[in-house]
Amino acid sequence: MNAFQRIDHLGRAAGPAAILLLLILLNAVPLRVPYLSTATPLLPLMAVFHFGLFRPIHLPNWLALAFGLLIDVISGGPLGVNGLVFLCVRYFVEANQRFLADKPFLFVWFGYALVSAGAVAATWALSALLMWRGIDPRPAVFQYLMSLAFYPMASWIIGRSHNGAVARGRPSSSRNARAG
Amino acid sequence: MAARISIGQVASSLRSAAQRFAFVLLVLGAFGIMVIGKADTVIVERIRSAVGDIITPVLNVLSRPVQTVNDLMADAQDLATLRTELTRLREENARLLAWQNVAQRLEAENKALRSFMNYQTGPQATFITARVVGDAGSAFVRSMLLSAGARDGVKSGQAVMTADGLAGRITEVGDGSARVLLITDINSRIPVLVERTRDRAILAGDNSRQPLLNFLPFGVQPQIGDRIVTSGHGGTYPAGLPVGVVSGIADNGTVRVEPLVDWSRLEFVRVVDFGISGVLPPLPAIPPPRRGAQP
Repeated sequence: MNAFQRIDHLGRAAGPAAILLLLILLNAVPLRVPYLSTATPLLPLMAVFHFGLFRPIHLPNWLALAFGLLIDVISGGPLGVNGLVFLCVRYFVEANQRFLADKPFLFVWFGYALVSAGAVAATWALSALLMWRGIDPRPAVFQYLMSLAFYPMASWIIGRSHNGAVARGRPSSSRNARAG
Repeated sequence: MAARISIGQVASSLRSAAQRFAFVLLVLGAFGIMVIGKADTVIVERIRSAVGDIITPVLNVLSRPVQTVNDLMADAQDLATLRTELTRLREENARLLAWQNVAQRLEAENKALRSFMNYQTGPQATFITARVVGDAGSAFVRSMLLSAGARDGVKSGQAVMTADGLAGRITEVGDGSARVLLITDINSRIPVLVERTRDRAILAGDNSRQPLLNFLPFGVQPQIGDRIVTSGHGGTYPAGLPVGVVSGIADNGTVRVEPLVDWSRLEFVRVVDFGISGVLPPLPAIPPPRRGAQP
């Protein structure tokens, strides 16, 4: 393996983490659009689902937890909520890879709809529990629906940005690789 | 062959068990972090501030293109309404000039009366202008990150205002960053009063755009359009800061307040130090016990 191949290999390995970090930062940028700034699409969750399914070896469980914690720290919300949710999403998606991989995109989208519904519900329940207040779930539902609508585009961009034509649910070279 | 398969199967199942064990450990770790975070230890605050200091410059750069696009859109809107806006501003200017005369007369009168009464003026407010670089990006928290911190003079508990009114207060301070808890956040509670009737109440955020007006005195019914200002009780904010206007009264008596702050145009804010110590005054320093001192 020559130097260029090594750099290329390193770039591919670090790709998911770099993209996820960028999406986390983009999610925190104030959009200043009325009504939208409180319900921006859950871009980091989409990336965790996507990489958990198509690049699990490059997004190990501990890294999903660490990125979730970073979101908790940036947003100022209860610490550990997004960490736990990202970890569970990453683990669940990889564990069910054989049901979602090699399937048409609509099937993957449906899988995202189910997984993100569970993730948003868990985030809402854990946040309410840790804050010990009844939180109105409507903004979370709106955010979930926004994310669902944005998923095809986001999935395509994430897939393209990582040299993987995976948006249509096609298999990729390292998709079957498993990571702990 | 059979032995090879069995060894392979054993290795695979062992690897799977190890992965599950690692996952369980990570889940337990996440729960542990939640407990530590809930305990609100100094370490968690320090970590939050340190991460805020690291990401604030990055967010500052990332938010510039978004601001440029917003500015362009605002310019286009302004061009479309230039003529009507000019007429409106001329009328407003004429009105304000009349008010200026009144204000100058009242200021002179106030000055004269204060000198008669030997009135002691309160501490002068100082301002720190800060850029909003980060949003919570969450459906459960209403907070913002500012590009000014302790080195600029920002302190925890200070009020954050725009030209329109009160936006929130500082809750975490890093070296070059600070977090603002907005008045719409579910954890925000502000002592206010209805300006017209001087009735006290508590403005309670519930993560919606319009916070609730709670604990109004029995029988008091504010009217839509009533201005809500800070009451000064509790020592967090000085009295009289504009907060919002009553925007809706439900059949069950729930009163909603529309904040005066335009959240979609929140690029710069003023962190205001009114010289008030806040709800919790700083603890007095406890002198260390002297060596050899008798109990």
